[in-house]
Amino acid sequence: MHQLLKTFKVALKAINKNRSRSLLTILGIIIGVGAVIMTISAGEGATKQVQDQISGLGSNLLMIYTKMEHRGGSNVRMGKPIDKRDFDILQKNAVFISKLSPIIVVGAQAIGPNGYKSTAIYGVSNEYFDVLSRELYSGDFFKEEDVKNASKVCVIGETNREELFVNLDPIGRKIRIDKIPFTVVGLLKEEGQGAMGQDQDDLIIAPYTTVQNRLHGRRRGYDMIMASALNENCISEAKIEAAELLRESHRILEGEENDFEITTQVELQEITGNITGILTILLGAIASISLLVGGIGIMNIMLVSVTERTREIGTRLAIGARESDILIQFLIEAITLSLVGGLFGVLLGVVGNQIIYKITDFYIPTAMYSILIGFGFSALVGIAFGYFPARKAAKLNPIDALRYE
Amino acid sequence: MTAKKVIETKKVSRVFKNGEIEVHALTDIDLIIVEGEFVAIMGASGSGKSTLLNILGCLDKPTSGDYYLDNVHVNMLNKNQLADIRNQKIGFIFQSYNLLSRTTALENVELPLVYDRTGRFSNSKEIARQALELVGLADRIYHRTNQLSGGEQQRVAIARALVNDPALILSDEATGNLDSKASIDVADLFVKLNNKGKTIVMITHEPEIAQFAKRMIYLRDGKVLTDEFIKNRSTKEQALLDLELTS
Ligand SMILES: Nc1ncnc2c1ncn2[C@@H]1O[C@H](COP(=O)(O)OP(=O)(O)OP(=O)(O)O)[C@@H](O)[C@H]1O
Ligand SMILES: [Mg+2]
Repeated sequence: MHQLLKTFKVALKAINKNRSRSLLTILGIIIGVGAVIMTISAGEGATKQVQDQISGLGSNLLMIYTKMEHRGGSNVRMGKPIDKRDFDILQKNAVFISKLSPIIVVGAQAIGPNGYKSTAIYGVSNEYFDVLSRELYSGDFFKEEDVKNASKVCVIGETNREELFVNLDPIGRKIRIDKIPFTVVGLLKEEGQGAMGQDQDDLIIAPYTTVQNRLHGRRRGYDMIMASALNENCISEAKIEAAELLRESHRILEGEENDFEITTQVELQEITGNITGILTILLGAIASISLLVGGIGIMNIMLVSVTERTREIGTRLAIGARESDILIQFLIEAITLSLVGGLFGVLLGVVGNQIIYKITDFYIPTAMYSILIGFGFSALVGIAFGYFPARKAAKLNPIDALRYE
Repeated sequence: MTAKKVIETKKVSRVFKNGEIEVHALTDIDLIIVEGEFVAIMGASGSGKSTLLNILGCLDKPTSGDYYLDNVHVNMLNKNQLADIRNQKIGFIFQSYNLLSRTTALENVELPLVYDRTGRFSNSKEIARQALELVGLADRIYHRTNQLSGGEQQRVAIARALVNDPALILSDEATGNLDSKASIDVADLFVKLNNKGKTIVMITHEPEIAQFAKRMIYLRDGKVLTDEFIKNRSTKEQALLDLELTS
């Protein structure tokens, strides 16, 4: 035990004697560990955010839209557009669907008392708010009558409130959308940035009838129908039923393909799961590269010093150090450097995540397993490049270690 | 012979293999050195002096033959036992010092005590300081290796060899980097240590230094050419006088 204590002192002295090498090693480990933690956490964070958002849509959600095909760089509508007839049929006959709303999206300029902004106008029915379970900050949603009468009312997002009203209360006030006056009846609760970085508060919601009559002009049909199934257990039934009804409505013969698509929230989650999975793999690859670079840096530093340290080992052996004394000394050195580097690396990773959060608003929870991987890496590097060369040297005849070149 | 055998070699040979080429550095060395002897080893460069001393110091192993140290068959010892022998019984002074770099003289000299497992030494710093004083480096104890001259480094190496109070001192050209005056001081130090009962084997290529020993072995091509007792041993006073006369 006493010998172990002495060896511990020897190891700490050796770290201090080789200060610049120790610092460079620690630096390499810090960078490697920090990079691993930050990249893995970023991948995890993105995945989690996308998933949260999709499940936030409500797990009963079905999206029904015309089949699109990607041709020559743009999306081309392949089938008959989804229109009022389809909507009415679904509303009347679909027993597995509880609520549904058409969606028409147009871009327009909105002018308020204190400013103006180009934004997306969503034409929807009053059931849209139930389907997507969006909440209000103040005011009210528009009602069934507003849809029926094609009233000029709207619900606005926080981004638009800021631009158009600045510090006025928007409820009850008028804005102009493409020169047509709309009364603001509600203000949406702020949602922040979406998974793909889009602003979820930059929108104005109005009755689809109004949008169709006043803003939409020539275009026939809807962009989409959003519906919610009765409950989570009958989503696939709802999908099958809706498909059957639409095939009938579109007069699609047996054996022919659908000219529309129905995506459920679950499927959406799978698709984005794949995308974010790829993202995580990509980030993982970047992390591995930074590990490799850090590792090679450390390896270089260590290899350069092998000659000197082998002589040192020879000297120690020659004056009576046992092989175990040398091994323990170098193990303590390696562990100390790895530990210090690892700790600061974790710190760098966690603080780095926080800084990214401060700068970009992209919240990255530090993944626990990334800390473990980072630490594992630093231990591996420390032992591989610090301990094993020493072990080799400690097995030599003292005189051979002394003569090492 | 009544005195205790400290060193006994039986047909010790050492062959270095470098690919195809074999170098017979030592061939069939039979040697007995008893307690209290002071032996000088001489010989041309490459005659095998260092190779022999390394084997005697348990730093290297003979290719063939047997080596007994204090009647213990060294060939049979394991690594830890060899390490402990080097630590407790032997003080080895290297031709090329082999000090730790960026380390103070004091820490270098203290090092053998760090690996001492007998608990013989209670205050290793003080013991190390005394050893440095003995070689005239009292005012250099906190200098680092790279801040010392070649001769000073040599003396740090000597102090390190003495610090564990070894019964056997093996010196490979301890005076190689010292001027004549300093060399005589070191030789005189060896004489005093020998008078206190320590067995000393010292390699040197300076006849006037060898003259301080009691016995001289001359090596040629890895074999003992001559082995005889020295009749009129030199003393410090005499050597200094000779030095004045020649200069
Ligand atoms: N590790 C080694 N590998 C190969 N050959 C070696 C090795 N060590 C020594 N030799 C050879 O063994 C022979 C004896 O070497 P040694 O170092 O014992 O000579 P020396 O008498 O101490 O010479 P010097 O007075 O120059 O120090 C030399 O020819 C040398 O080249
Ligand atoms: Mg030599």
